[in-house]
Amino acid sequence: MNKIFGNPDRSLVAKLIIAIGVLMVIVSFIFWYAILQKQQQDIRSIAVKYGDSFLAFIKQSTHYSMLTLDSAKTQEAVEHLSSPDVIKEVNIYDHGGTIHFSSNEERISSTVVKTSLACTACHEDPEKSSALLNERMRWNVTKDPQGVSSLSLVSVIENEKDCYTARCHVHPQDQKIIGFIKADFSLGLLDVALHKQKEALSLYVAIFVIIVSLFVGFIIYTMITRPIRVLIAGMERIAGGDLDHSVPITSDDEMGVLARSFNAMIKDLKEARDQREKWTQTLEEEVARKTEEIRKTHASLVQTEKLASLGRMAAGVAHEINNPLTGVITFAHLLRDRFPDKSQEVDDLNVIIEQSERCSKIISNLLTFARATPSEKGSCDINEVLSRTVFMLKNQEKFHHIKFDVDMDEAQFIVFGDASQFQQIFLNMFINAADAMEKRGKITVASRRVKEKGKDFVEIEFSDEGCGIKEEDMSKLFEPFFTTKPIGKGTGLGLSVSHGIVKHFGGTLKVESTVGKGTSFFVRLPLSETHQ
Amino acid sequence: MKKILIIDDEPIIRTSCERTLAPKGYAVTSAASGAEGLALLEKEPFSVVLLDFKMPDMDGMEVLKKIQASSSSAKVIIITGYSNVDTAVRALRSGAYNYIEKPFTPDKILSAVKEAIDDLEEK
Repeated sequence: MNKIFGNPDRSLVAKLIIAIGVLMVIVSFIFWYAILQKQQQDIRSIAVKYGDSFLAFIKQSTHYSMLTLDSAKTQEAVEHLSSPDVIKEVNIYDHGGTIHFSSNEERISSTVVKTSLACTACHEDPEKSSALLNERMRWNVTKDPQGVSSLSLVSVIENEKDCYTARCHVHPQDQKIIGFIKADFSLGLLDVALHKQKEALSLYVAIFVIIVSLFVGFIIYTMITRPIRVLIAGMERIAGGDLDHSVPITSDDEMGVLARSFNAMIKDLKEARDQREKWTQTLEEEVARKTEEIRKTHASLVQTEKLASLGRMAAGVAHEINNPLTGVITFAHLLRDRFPDKSQEVDDLNVIIEQSERCSKIISNLLTFARATPSEKGSCDINEVLSRTVFMLKNQEKFHHIKFDVDMDEAQFIVFGDASQFQQIFLNMFINAADAMEKRGKITVASRRVKEKGKDFVEIEFSDEGCGIKEEDMSKLFEPFFTTKPIGKGTGLGLSVSHGIVKHFGGTLKVESTVGKGTSFFVRLPLSETHQ
Repeated sequence: MKKILIIDDEPIIRTSCERTLAPKGYAVTSAASGAEGLALLEKEPFSVVLLDFKMPDMDGMEVLKKIQASSSSAKVIIITGYSNVDTAVRALRSGAYNYIEKPFTPDKILSAVKEAIDDLEEK
């Protein structure tokens, strides 16, 4: 029961049952009261009918003795007809209200008060004998101190022919009413019956209210409360994060529709959550990837900057070393010339010369990639820088057996930047190409205008017929200190520094290579907007 | 005898050139600064001038321009550090005959000087 009703403050069913119960109690009480009233009324009217018959019977029984003025016989009949249990008292009055015959002998000759039923049954105002009632209230019901009700009934004795023609001549012919008869009946037995009926009816009503309330409660519980409880339990599980839960659908009514809608909602919620989790994960991966990218770029920038400043310092030192190195080389040569060929001294001096030249190469490599001259930014004509570099290199021993195939666009490509830094990039490209071809072959140089993401760029291509770059080396190409050249030949800084410079001026550096066929480097630099 | 002038603030470079060239029959004169070199050029004619581009008192380019502006017909060979190819190219365009990178070997100096003198004589 507790499960059904729950806490009245919080249970819908308890509230409904209480409301229905109260309504039924009120309605049942009204019916109960109406039925009892009607029953009482019916019983009384029957009692009045029997009372009337009884009074008529008394009148008949005493008719003869009245006509013969046999008072003793009349009194005897009256006494005889009354019984203390049912007919408590029978009185016969004259029209003036004086009792002539009574079952209670003590009351004979006494006069009734004018407000009693004996008078008011016929007279509206007993003081005025002519004020008669239209509807005669010939009876009333009173209760004695013991709670037993009794019915008092009055019947008029009218003047008849037998009366005014009787020998006694007591009543003249013009007298209409001779007197009246009044009887008091005890309704004790009826009271008891009525009371028993009242009790039975009350019991029936109570049983009816309880049964109906329970039935309604049960219906509401099975049809509403139970499905709602299931829904609430489902919602609590979902609020706790269990989106895999679904509510069983047990009917096709509104509750079934609600459960179905609820399940659909949970499905949507689960999909939204999965989507969100996926997004979050993707976002996290993206952030991690970008962070790693930034970290790498930063590390490489720091590394490049460190190397650049180291290079600047080294370059300053290298310049100074060149002077004493020239002295060492010159005097070693001079000394060597004094000794005969194939002597131990010549061999030793050759070692000095070779090692000094090695020093010189190390310095020149260092100086190529880390120039001591400060950066001077301005507008540079890329074609001019390129042709100047080619012109200068043609005289170099390294390029003596290399053919330059120059195909420069006639247009002027003005780029904002440092001409000497651009030259450094180009020099580096040519040196790499020459090294890749072992100083023999053709280098193709071309410049052209290209468009990328709506911006104008100049693209400078450097293609060689060299050995090419291995697939596994491609990713490390722009890393500082990465080199495939023999020890002492390359510093591994060339492409790294070049890449740094190109990126610094907003350009890109790309490479295409086929092992055994050759390599192409594409340097893209943004064209100065005023010269596009 | 061909006269050669060396202008360099580094004594070891001057000495190296003198010791390389003198035995080969060149008359070598040294100057430790740009100003000193220019003064010598005004006094007497030289066939070849070996000019260091990096000197404390006067920029090599300035000295080169002054030589070009003077009546001297001397061929100027620039001595430069490797990384200063850019300035070397500029110098060549300004009228320098050739350039030599430091550190150099005696052979390089000799061939460069010989080339310049041959060219001079052809004219």
